[in-house]
Amino acid sequence: MATVNLWAKDGYMSTPDGNSIYFWGFTGDANRPAQLPGPRIVITQGQEVTVNLTNTLAKPVSIVFPGQRGVLAGGQPVQPQYDAERLVSFADYAPPNGGTVTYTFTAEHPGTYIYESGTYPYRQVPMGLYGGLVVRPADFDADTNKTAYGAGTDTGFDREYLLITGEIDPKLHRAVEQGKACSAGGYRPRYWTVNGRCAPDTMMKDSVPYLPRQPYGSMIMAERGERVLIRYIGAGVQTHPLHPHGNHTRVIAVDGRLLRNGEHDRSYNRFTVLVEPGRTYDQIFRWDGLGYSEQNPIPTILPNLRNMGIGDAGWTLWSGSPYLGQKGDIPVGVVSHNELGEYYFMLHSHAEPQITNWGEFPGGMMSMIAVYPSLSPVVGTLP
Amino acid sequence: MATVVRNFWIKSGTLSLPDRNIPFWGFADLNGGPQVPGPIIQARVGDIVRVRLYNNFFNSDPVGEPVSIVFPGQENVTVRQYPYGGKPQPVQPQYSGGNFISYTNYVEPDSYYFPLILQYEFEAQRCGIYLYESGTNPEKQIQMGVYGVIIIRPYGYNIPSHSNYKTAYGANTNSRYDVEKVLVLGELDSAMHQGVIPGGYYNILNFTPDYYVLNGRCYPDTVNDDDDSGQPYGSKISCSTGDRVLLRMINAGFRTYTISFGGLSGRVIAEGGYSLATDGTDNSYERTGVTLGAGQSADAVIIPERPGEFYIYDRGHTCLINDDGFLGSMMTKMDVHPTP
Repeated sequence: MATVNLWAKDGYMSTPDGNSIYFWGFTGDANRPAQLPGPRIVITQGQEVTVNLTNTLAKPVSIVFPGQRGVLAGGQPVQPQYDAERLVSFADYAPPNGGTVTYTFTAEHPGTYIYESGTYPYRQVPMGLYGGLVVRPADFDADTNKTAYGAGTDTGFDREYLLITGEIDPKLHRAVEQGKACSAGGYRPRYWTVNGRCAPDTMMKDSVPYLPRQPYGSMIMAERGERVLIRYIGAGVQTHPLHPHGNHTRVIAVDGRLLRNGEHDRSYNRFTVLVEPGRTYDQIFRWDGLGYSEQNPIPTILPNLRNMGIGDAGWTLWSGSPYLGQKGDIPVGVVSHNELGEYYFMLHSHAEPQITNWGEFPGGMMSMIAVYPSLSPVVGTLP
Repeated sequence: MATVVRNFWIKSGTLSLPDRNIPFWGFADLNGGPQVPGPIIQARVGDIVRVRLYNNFFNSDPVGEPVSIVFPGQENVTVRQYPYGGKPQPVQPQYSGGNFISYTNYVEPDSYYFPLILQYEFEAQRCGIYLYESGTNPEKQIQMGVYGVIIIRPYGYNIPSHSNYKTAYGANTNSRYDVEKVLVLGELDSAMHQGVIPGGYYNILNFTPDYYVLNGRCYPDTVNDDDDSGQPYGSKISCSTGDRVLLRMINAGFRTYTISFGGLSGRVIAEGGYSLATDGTDNSYERTGVTLGAGQSADAVIIPERPGEFYIYDRGHTCLINDDGFLGSMMTKMDVHPTP
C-alpha cells in the first residue's frame, strides 16, 4: 500500500533568458509550491496505490493514469465527467478551491508512465499539470536485482534517469493567468523543456535554490561501461526526436510495456527516439568508449585550442584533454566546469528550433550525457 | 476471386461542423451528394478492384478542376480511359508544358452530357487498411475532402468455419476481432474551405486548421450513428467487456496525431498495411496510444475489461477544443457494456 498526496497549485517558473512564467503544477506537500513537473512517484508492481488530490486552483482538476488498469475514483471506476451534457473531464475531478478526489489502482505492470490532468487537458496539461510515475518490478532489489522489468528481461541497470519533455507557449500561460480564453489553433511554443527546465538549466543539479519550482535536473552521469536506464516521457503536445550525439540507446519498452513477446526480444537500437505526446520510452544506454589513452593515442589531430571554446557564454564542459579522466589546457578567457576529466556530449531534440529559448540558441530541449572516470553510486538514483 | 467495381464522381457539397457549415469536395456516386471520407471500398486478397472516376457527366455539383485518384500501398495500378481508351497502361505522373501537374492520370472536367471515364485497376494483394485520395492538386483537393479508405481482407474473413474468420490479416496474426471500427483522421481549415476557388491557386503555406476530425466529423458529432449525410460514418464504438475491439486508424490529414486509447492499452498488430506477425514471429506490441504521420495507418486490438465510457482522443490535446471552449474535435467514445 502506497499513499501519494498531491496538491494542484499555481506558481511562477523561470527560464534561462530571465522570463518568469505563470504555470499550474502538482506538489507533494501542502506547504510547498507547485513544481514542474509534478513529484516523481516511485512504486512497486503489485502495490495498491492511493493518490489523494487536493485542488487549490479555481478550475476542476483531475488526474489520469494512462497504462494503469482499473483506476477507481472514490471507490468507483473513473468515468468521464460532463457539465450540462458537455464533456469537461476524462476522469472524476477534484472541485475547485480546495476540493479533493481520491484515486486508487494496483500497479500491475512495471515501467514508466505519465500522470496528467484529464480535465480541460488542452489547457491544463500544457500549463504543467503532469508528472512521471515509475513502477518497479515486483522482484526489484536495489542491491541484488536492479532491473526495469524484472529478472530475466535483460533490463538490468546501474543508474537511471527520468526525462520528461514539454513545451511552453507563453501566450497560453498569460491567457490563463489573466483568465482569458485560449483557442485551439494558436498553440505556438517558445520554450521547450526537459523536466520543466530549459537548457542550460537542464544541466544543473536537482533542487538548486535558484529554481525553486523546477527541482529536477537532466544531466545524465555514468561511468564508462555502466548500463544506464533512461526513461523518457513526452508530456507536451508536440513530438520530439531525442538523441545522444554520436551514440545510440536500446529501446526496451514503450508506454510501460516490455518489448518482448514470450522468448522473442523485440528491443531495438536507435540513434534517435521520437518522443510522442503522452507516451513513454525506456532505454538502456551504455558508453564503452574506444580505449584511447596517452599510451594509445587517438589517430587524429585535435583542432587548434582557440577553436575549442564553446559558444559565446565563455564557459565549457570540456576538460581540455581528449582522454577520459585527464584535464588539459583551456582557451584563455573560457571557464571550464569540468570536474574530473569527464567526457560530455549532448542529448537533445534534433528538431533544432526546440533547442532555443524563444529563438536564441543554445537552450531549450537539450542536456548532456557525462561519462565520468569514477562516480559515486548515489548519482543517478530515483527515490 | 471477384471483381469489385466502384463508380465515383467528385462533387462539391456542404460539411456540417459543430458551429458552422463549410463547403467541401468529396467522392460521390451518380445520384448522391459527396461524402467525407469517401465510400469505404472493401475487397478480399486476390480480388480485382476497378475504380471508375467520371468527369462532369451528369454532375450538377462539379468542383471545376481535373480530378484523379492515387492508391498508396497498392502496386501495379493500371488505368484506361473510356471511351477511346485503348489498353490499360500503368498509371503515370502527368506533366503539362514541362510542369508537373498530377501524381497520376487525371480526367478533365469536360462535358455534362458526354461521359469521360478513367478506370483505375489493381489486384488487392495485401490485407490492410489503405487510403485512396486525390493525386491532382492534392494539397487542395485532399484538404477539401477528396479521400477515402480501402479495406483489404483475407479470404475467409466472412466464413465462420474458416481460420481467417473475423481476422484483419488472417489466422495467427493476432488480428481476430469481435468489433471493428475504422477511424480516418484529418483536419480542416475552415477559412480555406470558404475561400476555395476551382482552378485557382491555393497557398498551402497559409494552412491553419481549426477543426480536427475523425471520419469527417468533430466530437460530439463523432459519437452519433452512421447516417446518409455527407459525413456518413460515425466513430462511436460499442462493445462488451472481453471483446476484441479492432481499431483501424489511418491519417488522411497533413498533420501528425497521437491517438490515445483513453486509459486502456491496445496491442498494435499491424502498421502501414503490414501485419506485425511475420514468418511465425510475433512482433506486435502493447501501447497506450499510437502516433500517425500523414498517410500512416495502424491497427490495434483493445480488450476492455470493465464496463464504462472511455474516450479515444488525440493526445496532441490542442486539437481537443471546439470554438465554445468545451472538449471537442478529434475524439470519440467507446461504450463498454457488461458481457450479456
